[in-house]
Amino acid sequence: MDRTERILDLVALLLDAREPISWAELREHFPADYGGSDDAAERKFERDKAELVELGFPLSYVQGDDERRDGYLVDRDVYYLPEADLTKEELAVLYAAGSAALASGAFPGRDDLAHALRKIGFFAGESLPTPRVRMELGTGQEGQEKEVSARLEQLWDACSAHKWVQLTYGSPRKDGVTERRVDPYGLALRRGVWTLVGYCHLRQGLRTFHVHRIRELKVNTARPRTPDFEVPADFSLDAHVAYFPWQYRFHAPMEVTLQLTGPQASRAGSLFPGAALEPVAEGVARARFPVTFLDGLVRFVLSLGADCRVEGPPEARARLEQMAANILAKHAPVEGPRVSA
Amino acid sequence: MSNVHERLRRLLFLVPYVSKHPGVTVEALAKALNISREDLLEELDLLTCVGRPPFNPDDYIDIYVANDRVYVDLDQRLFAPPRLTAGEAAALAAAAELLRPSTGDALQSALTKLEGIIPPAARERFRDMFRKIDASADAPPALGPLTRAILERLEVTFGYASPGRPPEPRRVRPYELLSHRGQWYLQGFCHTRQDARLFRLDRMEELAVTPTAFQPPPDARADVPNPARGTSEASVRVRFTPTAAPYVKERFGQDARPLADGGVEVRVAGDSERWLTQWVLSFGGEAEVLEPASARAAVARAVHASIGS
Repeated sequence: MDRTERILDLVALLLDAREPISWAELREHFPADYGGSDDAAERKFERDKAELVELGFPLSYVQGDDERRDGYLVDRDVYYLPEADLTKEELAVLYAAGSAALASGAFPGRDDLAHALRKIGFFAGESLPTPRVRMELGTGQEGQEKEVSARLEQLWDACSAHKWVQLTYGSPRKDGVTERRVDPYGLALRRGVWTLVGYCHLRQGLRTFHVHRIRELKVNTARPRTPDFEVPADFSLDAHVAYFPWQYRFHAPMEVTLQLTGPQASRAGSLFPGAALEPVAEGVARARFPVTFLDGLVRFVLSLGADCRVEGPPEARARLEQMAANILAKHAPVEGPRVSA
Repeated sequence: MSNVHERLRRLLFLVPYVSKHPGVTVEALAKALNISREDLLEELDLLTCVGRPPFNPDDYIDIYVANDRVYVDLDQRLFAPPRLTAGEAAALAAAAELLRPSTGDALQSALTKLEGIIPPAARERFRDMFRKIDASADAPPALGPLTRAILERLEVTFGYASPGRPPEPRRVRPYELLSHRGQWYLQGFCHTRQDARLFRLDRMEELAVTPTAFQPPPDARADVPNPARGTSEASVRVRFTPTAAPYVKERFGQDARPLADGGVEVRVAGDSERWLTQWVLSFGGEAEVLEPASARAAVARAVHASIGS
C-alpha cells in the first residue's frame, strides 16, 4: 500500500476508534504493510507514527487496566481545528500579512505558512479580503527570488529541527568564498534582507550571514529527528542583527551624542529608536546612544543635512569632518565632462 | 520537508474543505490548495482508496467529481482540518509581524487567539519556533489606513513633500502598497498630477481617508522602483571605489560596469536630488558623481549643509 494512503487509513481508523487499538490489532488490519518480521514491522510503524506526530496528530499510547486494554488512542478534541473566533479585522491582518509574505517570493516556512492560511480561512467562507500589499523581500538583486526562497525553506527546516548546515558563503568584504558548518539559530529580516544567525564552527562563535550571499547550502540529513545542537536559553535574534548601520558590531561601543533641530527634532525618536532623548530648547533635542560602527552613523548623519549635528565625542566629530572633506574633494567643480577610468 | 508530508497535509485539508463546501468547482478547489487541476484529480483518485479497516464499502471516503464539481458523501470523520501545527502557527505569527506597526490592537488579539487554538502540547514549540524568525519590519503607521482605503476603495488625501519643496496637498486613488528594500510605497492615481504615481510613505503627512469611492483598474501593479533603470536623459553617472564595488555589484548585477582600478560605475536616475545625494553620502566618500555637473554640485551642497559650512 502507498505510504500516504496507509497513513490516511490510520488517521481514519484512529479518529473513529472508541477503544485503544493494540499493536496486534494494527498488524491484523494492515497485514501487507505491517507483516514480515517483528522488527521490520515495528520500524515501519515507528516511522508512520513519527509522521503522524509531525502532522500534529495527537496520538498517544495508553496502558490498559481492568477496564481498558493497552493500545493507541487519539484525542479527538485536540485533533480538530476549533473556530478561533477571529474578528473581521483580526482575520484581515493575519490574511493580508500572510498572503503578502507568501506572494513576496522569499519567506521562511512557506509551506507552513500556506497551510496556516488555509486553516484560518477554513471557517471564514468567502469573506477573506484580497490583499493589495506586496513585499519584495530577501534578495540582494532582481532574479534571485527563487534561490533565496529555496534557501530560506531549507534553513527554516534546519532551524526547527536543530540540524546543522554546511554552507558556501561569499562575503563582499573578502575575495572568494568560505566553507562553514553553522548551527542555525534563527532568521531575521531587516530592511528587506534576510539574515541567518547561528554558531559558526569555523569562527567558533555566533555569526550573521546574509541569505542571498549563501552560494550552496546542505542540511545535515543524518538522524533527522535527533537535534544536533541546543540554542542557548538567553539567545535573542535582536541582539545579533543590526537594525541600523551604526549597530553593526565592528568596534567596541562608543556613546555618541547628536543634536537635532527643526523637523528632525520631532522625528528624533523614530530616527534613532532606543536613544536617550532630552529636550535642549524649544525645537531642539539631544539624542544619546551607543554606536558600534561609527562610519555607519556618520554617513547617516551626513545624509540628514543641517538639522542633525554630532556633539561628541571628539573622535566622532573628527570622523565626520574627515569624511565630509573626502566627499567634497571628490566633488570639487571640474572643467568639462569627466571621463572615467 | 518530504513530499509525503506535504501531500498528507494537503489531503487532510482537502476532505474537510469539500465537506464544508459541497459542490466546490474543481478549479476553485485546485486554487485553494495551490495545485494544478491534474494533480488535484490525482489526489481525489487516491482518496477514494482511503478508509478504515475492515474496509467494507461504507468504510471508504466517498469523494467524487460530478459536472466538474466536487462532493463528499462519506468523509470518515475528516469533517474539519487538523489544528495548526507549531510550525504553521509560527510562520503565520512571524509573517504578521511584517505589518505590526500598522495594525493596532488587531494583531495582538489575533496572535493571542491563534495561540489559543494550537494544541496545548505544541505551544511551547510554537513559542520556540516563533523566536526563530524575526521579521519585524519598520512598517509605517500609515500602512493601516492605506490598507483600509485600498480594500474599501476610498480616495485618500495627504501632503507630499517633494525634495527641497514644502509639502503639497495630493488627492489619490490608492491601488497597491509595495515594500521594496525596506521602503514602503503607495501606488495610485494622483488627481493633482492626473497620472499614475508612486509615493513614499515616509514623505506623507496628514493622511486622511475620504468618503469618495472609486473603481480601481483591473490590473494595477506598481513597477518596483529601481534607480538603475531610470530614464537615460536624466541619468547620473556614479563611480565607486574598489572598496565599495562588491556591495554595488551585489545590488546592481550586470548594470554595474567594472573599471580598470577594480571599482565600478553605474548609471542611476537623477530625478530625485534628495535620494541621489543621500545615497551617495551613504557611501561616505567611496562614491563619486561623475556627471552631470549639477548633480556633483548637489552632493557638495548637501555635505556643506551637513557640516554647517
